[in-house]
Amino acid sequence: MEHSASAMHQSQQHAAKAGQPWLQLESIGKRFGSFQALQDVALQIRPGEIQCLLGENGAGKSTLCNLIFGVHEPTAGQMLLDGGVYQPQGPADAFAQGIAMVHQHFSLVSDLSVVDNLLLGQAHGFLRRGAMADRVARLAEQYGLQLDPHALISTLSVGERQRVEIVKCLMREPRLLVLDEPTAVLLPDEIDALLRVCRRVAAQGCSVLLVTHKLAEIKQVADRVTVLRGGRIVAHSEHPADELDALVQAMIQHAPDSPAPPAAAASRSTRLQDEVLQVDGLGVTDVQGVTRLDNFTLVLNRGEIIGVAGVEGNGQSELASVLSGMSSPSRGRFFINGEELSGASPQAVTRAGVGVVPEDRHATGCITDLSLAENIFLNRLHEFQRWGCLDRAAMRAAASELMRRFDVRAASVDSRFGGLSGGNQQKAVLARELTLRNLTCLIASQPTRGLDVGAVQAVYGHIRAARDQGVGVLLISSELDELLTVADRIVVLYRGRIMGSCPAQPDQRARIGAMMAGQTP
Amino acid sequence: MSLSFLQRVPQPLLRPLIPLTAVLIALLFGVALVAATGASVSEALGAFAEGAWGSPYAIAASINRSLVFALVGIGFVLAERARLINVGGEGQIAVGGIAATAVSLYGGVADLPLGLAFILPLLAAALAGGLWGGLPGVLKVKAGTNEVISTLMLSFIGIWLLYWCVQSSALLRQPMSNSGTLPESLEIPSSTMLPFFFGDPSMPLHVGLPAVLVIGPLVALVLWRTLFGMHLRSVGLNQQAAHRAGMPIARTLILAMFIAGALGGLAGGFMLQGEQYSLKAGFSSGFGFDGLVVGLLARGSIAGVFAGALLFGFLRSGGIYMEMVAQVPSALVLVVQGVIILTLAAVTLINRRGEAV
Repeated sequence: MEHSASAMHQSQQHAAKAGQPWLQLESIGKRFGSFQALQDVALQIRPGEIQCLLGENGAGKSTLCNLIFGVHEPTAGQMLLDGGVYQPQGPADAFAQGIAMVHQHFSLVSDLSVVDNLLLGQAHGFLRRGAMADRVARLAEQYGLQLDPHALISTLSVGERQRVEIVKCLMREPRLLVLDEPTAVLLPDEIDALLRVCRRVAAQGCSVLLVTHKLAEIKQVADRVTVLRGGRIVAHSEHPADELDALVQAMIQHAPDSPAPPAAAASRSTRLQDEVLQVDGLGVTDVQGVTRLDNFTLVLNRGEIIGVAGVEGNGQSELASVLSGMSSPSRGRFFINGEELSGASPQAVTRAGVGVVPEDRHATGCITDLSLAENIFLNRLHEFQRWGCLDRAAMRAAASELMRRFDVRAASVDSRFGGLSGGNQQKAVLARELTLRNLTCLIASQPTRGLDVGAVQAVYGHIRAARDQGVGVLLISSELDELLTVADRIVVLYRGRIMGSCPAQPDQRARIGAMMAGQTP
Repeated sequence: MSLSFLQRVPQPLLRPLIPLTAVLIALLFGVALVAATGASVSEALGAFAEGAWGSPYAIAASINRSLVFALVGIGFVLAERARLINVGGEGQIAVGGIAATAVSLYGGVADLPLGLAFILPLLAAALAGGLWGGLPGVLKVKAGTNEVISTLMLSFIGIWLLYWCVQSSALLRQPMSNSGTLPESLEIPSSTMLPFFFGDPSMPLHVGLPAVLVIGPLVALVLWRTLFGMHLRSVGLNQQAAHRAGMPIARTLILAMFIAGALGGLAGGFMLQGEQYSLKAGFSSGFGFDGLVVGLLARGSIAGVFAGALLFGFLRSGGIYMEMVAQVPSALVLVVQGVIILTLAAVTLINRRGEAV
C-alpha cells in the first residue's frame, strides 16, 4: 500500500509539471513469430490525461496495452518510466509500478461475491470482508461506481462485472489505468457512467489510456488521440474533438472495401415469404426457479432479419442457447423448416441448416488453441477425411479460400486462433456459420461486440448478403442502432417476455426505448 | 527469477529438457542416498548396471518391463488430451491379467494356429482393460463422476478381484496337488506364451516389442491426423465449443477412456503371457502406477512416453538386482521415481511462473 500511495503522491508532483510525460514508449516493436504486430511505436502518457488509442481490428492496440502491462515483452525499443527504464517482468510487476489494466475478457470467479473477488490475491491470514466492503463503498462513492459488494459475480451484468474489474484496479491506486475496449460490452447509459468514471480518475491525477473505436466517446472524454494502423502510429491529435474526420480517415485508410450494403429495397420485394423458424411459446426456467424466458413466440421468414432488442440479461442468452441446441426449453417448442428441434442437440440444429454466432465467442464459438483452419471447419471436420485421416491439405486450401472471402486477416491458416484479433475471430466464426451447405437460418447474438468500425460494417455486409440469399436471420443485440441499421423488424424483450414489435425504422426509437424499459406500447 | 533463462531456450528444446533435468537430479539424489545407507556406491552402481543392462537377458527383461510402462503411459497421454486423468492403470493391468489367464487356460485357444493361441488372450486382456477403463468414462458422462476418483477406486477393485480369482478354486486357482499348493493359477500353455522375438530364451525379448512400436506411432497418428483425434483434443481444449460444433462429446470421452483402459489391459496381457506365465497375488506389482508416472513425465508426447518407459524399465531391473547383490533396498528406486516427480513439478512450476500468464 505504501508503495502505491507514494506513487500517487509522485504522480501529483509530476502533474504540477503539466504536460511532462511520465511514461514514454520509444520506437517499440513487437513480433510474434513471423508476424510484426507493432513497429516503431512511440507514445507518451502524461499525468492526469485521458489518451485514446484508436485503430481497427488487428491494428495492434491490444498488443500495445499488453506490452505496457507487462504481459508481453517488446522485441524492439524501450519504455521509460519517470525517465528510468521500465521493463515489467509481468502484470504483477506492472501493477507494483502503478500501472493497472482492465482487459476485454474479465478474470473474475463467478461463484464468489464481489468482495471475495477483490480479496483474491490480496488477502493474508483472515479475510476481512467487512473492511473490504467499506472500501468498495468508499471507492464507489469517490468515482461514482455503483456496486453491491456482496452480490455473486454470476448474478451481475457484464457492465457490473466490468465495474468490479475497475474497482480491483483502483484499489491499488494506480498512476495509469489501461482500459482495453471497455465500452464494447456496455449499454448506452453504462457507457456514460464509465466515461464519467474516467474523468474522475483522471481528475485525481491518474492517467487513463482508453482503447476504443467509438467516435462519440473520443469527442466526449479524450484529451489526446493516437491512431494505430497495421502496427504503426499513423496519426496523433492534441485536439481530437476538432479533428475527428481526419482521425477516422487515418484509421481506415487502405482498408479493403467492406462488402457494400446491397440495394436492399429492390431485393426485398422479390423475396419469398415462407417460414424458416417458428417459435411457439418458448419458456426457460433456471435452476433457481426464476423464469428467464416466457412464452416467446415468433415467426421468422425466408430473407428476413428480425432483431431482438432489449437490455442485456432480459432473456436473450437463454433464447439463443435454446435455439442453438445448447439447452432444452422448459416449455414450448420451435421448428426449423417445419422440423421440430426443441431440445435437439447442437449437431441436429446445425444439420437442419441453422448457423449460430454465439454471444460468448471464446467460451462457445471457437477453440483458441486450435488453428484458424480447424476453427473455420470445427462443425464439419468430417468433410475433410481421406482414408480415415484428416486431409489437412484440402482443409487448408478451403480455409484460405474462406479467409479471402470473409477478409479474415492472419499470418496463415495455421495460425493459432487465440492469436487473432477479436474482429478477425468473429469474421472466421461468421465464415464457418454462413457457409453451412444448407444454411436456412442464422441465429446471431451480439455479433459485433468488441469489433471496430470496419469489422462491424463487414459483419453487417455478410448478414445482409445472407438475408438477400434467402436466409432468415434472428439478430440478438443490445445495440439498438445496430438493429435499426440491419434488421427489418424488431421485437423487444423485457424480463423474458416480448413487450412488442415494430418495423426497424429510426422514428420508432423512442417507442422501442420505452419497451426496453418495460412499458407496454 | 533465477530460471528466467529458460524462457530464452527455444520451446522444442525446452520440452525434453525439463524431464531430463528432473531425471538427472533424481539420479544424483539416488546415488547420494546409496552412499548414505553406508553401502559402497561403486558396488551398488555396478550391481545396478549388471541388473539393468549387464547381459542380453537383463536388457531383454528391462525392455519387457518398459513395454508395460509404455502401454499404460500411451493410454494416459491419450486420455489426457481429452482432459481425462486415467489413474486406473493398475486395475486395468489386473483385469487384463485375469482375462488373459482365463482365456489361455480355459478358452480352448491353446491349439489354434497362426498365433491365435497367444493373440486371442491378448485381445481378451485389452477388452477387459477397456471395459475397466470405459466404465469410469460412462460414469463421467452419465453422472458427472470424477474419473480420477473412479479409476483409482476401480484399480483397487481390480487388484482384489485378482486376489479373489487366485484364492478361489472355483475361479482361477490351480487344483490342489502335491506340487501345486500356492494360491495361484496354473501355468498357461506354452502356445499361449508370447513368442520370443529372437526365439532364444537367453534373450527373452517378446513380440510385444514390435506391437508397442506400432501402437505408439499409431496413437500419435490417431490423435493428430484423424477426425476422432481432432474431436478428442477439441473436447479437451474447450468442451462447450466442441459441443456447439456438434462433436459427439459423450462418445469421445467414453472411447478415450476405453482405449486408455484397453492399453492398460494389454499391458496386463504382456505381463502374464510374456513374463509371469501364471497369475498370482500381487501380479500388477505397481506397474500401473509407474506407468501413470511415465505418462505424466511425457508431458503429452508419445516419444516422451517411450523415453520415460525405457528409463523406468531399466531403473526397475537395476534396482531389483542392486538389492540382491549390494543389499541396497530396491525401494530406493521408488525414492528416485518420487524425486523425479517432485523435481518435474518444481521445474514446471518455476518455468510457468516465468511465462507470466
